[in-house]
Amino acid sequence: MHFFRILIFLFTFSISLNLFANEAKDWLKTEIDKIIYAYQNNNLPSENRFLMIEQTINNNFAGSGIAKFVAGKSWNGASKDTKKEYIKLFKRHLALNIASMMQGYSNQNYELTNSNYDEKNKVSLINMEIYSDTGSIQVTWRVKKSKDRYFVIDLLVADISLVVTKRSEFNSMLKTVDYSLDKFNEKLIAQNDLSYSKLLN
Amino acid sequence: MNKFKQLLAFLIIILFSTNLYAGASDEVNTSSDDFETSVFEDEIYDPLEGINRAVFGFNNVADKIILEPAAKGYKKLPSPIQSGIGNFINNLKLPLVAFNQLLQGQGKNAAESTGRFIVNSTVGIFGLIDVADDFGLEQKEEDFGQTLATWGVGDGFYVVLPLFGPSNLRDTTGMVMTMMTDPVNSYVTREGESWIIPFKTAANAVDQRSKIIDEVNALRDNSVDYYAAVRSSYYQNRKAAIMNTDDDVLTPLPLISIEFE
Repeated sequence: MHFFRILIFLFTFSISLNLFANEAKDWLKTEIDKIIYAYQNNNLPSENRFLMIEQTINNNFAGSGIAKFVAGKSWNGASKDTKKEYIKLFKRHLALNIASMMQGYSNQNYELTNSNYDEKNKVSLINMEIYSDTGSIQVTWRVKKSKDRYFVIDLLVADISLVVTKRSEFNSMLKTVDYSLDKFNEKLIAQNDLSYSKLLN
Repeated sequence: MNKFKQLLAFLIIILFSTNLYAGASDEVNTSSDDFETSVFEDEIYDPLEGINRAVFGFNNVADKIILEPAAKGYKKLPSPIQSGIGNFINNLKLPLVAFNQLLQGQGKNAAESTGRFIVNSTVGIFGLIDVADDFGLEQKEEDFGQTLATWGVGDGFYVVLPLFGPSNLRDTTGMVMTMMTDPVNSYVTREGESWIIPFKTAANAVDQRSKIIDEVNALRDNSVDYYAAVRSSYYQNRKAAIMNTDDDVLTPLPLISIEFE
């Protein structure tokens, strides 16, 4: 009898995890389609297209949390205004990165293949397969629920995490400005301007 | 053959002698007090950073003027031709993949790779068609770098090789071992057709590069430090390959706080 109770518990538990993951998957599909639609709509001027994509990304990515994580040890020493400015710049930087990546995928077919719920970290891992004529590439979205809504907290392309890569990259650049977030913001402004002009051309 | 054994022994000794030092340096951890995350490896042991950046700059120019245009041209070929070339190159790698799987104690995978090689080389017309995939014999990658890692050899320092790109001491040793033990290389050398080796390497580079044109461009156009971004990507990719993670569950998970969105 005890065995059956455990079995029923495990069964119910696994179903509830599956429901969590599937709910996140449906939400993610809607948001990805918004970005793809922006690219496929040829009537949109480039500037408006990016604004649409930026808005979708800002609404759905845990931009502030990722910004804080990526800043690493320079975060604590920065003033409130510097942090605010940095978060604003980072969100744009993130949007430019995602927009640039999705631009390459916009004319390809994709499918959200499977999703798992990581109970320990309360994170859904959603796998997306992007197909081309000669093969496919796997992208994994890490999604977390907070206050009844979902946020993307990381994106992995072929096992490479965008957030971990950004942290390593920022750390390398922050080292050159003695971990001053204020000075780093200037570099981020320059990079964002450069990325923006490349994206539009 | 003796020369080869001596070189192999020399490389292994170098690798193990630097292993302790490098292993400790690879794990420079940051404090997790200021942000909500698990302990995280931030720094990659890169004592040759100055030289590496110079070589990276050279490789980047070579990529822009040779490899990327070649890869873009290759992408314009009809997809069956691209697939055929990719399959043929991958099939040639299989004997060494199977050998490395055996060295790592992956008997089942080694048997599958051997099966893949036999099926694709015969039914798949010299490896041009990937028939084995339809039989459930999946393509898996293993190399000497991964084998050495499985045996406990640390990364060693990070190095950017001219034309070959990002690597580390262990993986460079693995690459040399691959070049020296590759049965295809041995065969063409014996037949006096050594020119095939660089041709095969170049064809493999173009085929691989053609698969990541968009990803490389996105990284290059949007990085505040492209060198650091590639270095980090290389380490993450290798770590996943060594751990054989397909589902990303074992990839380090940054625990991002979303309370103040």
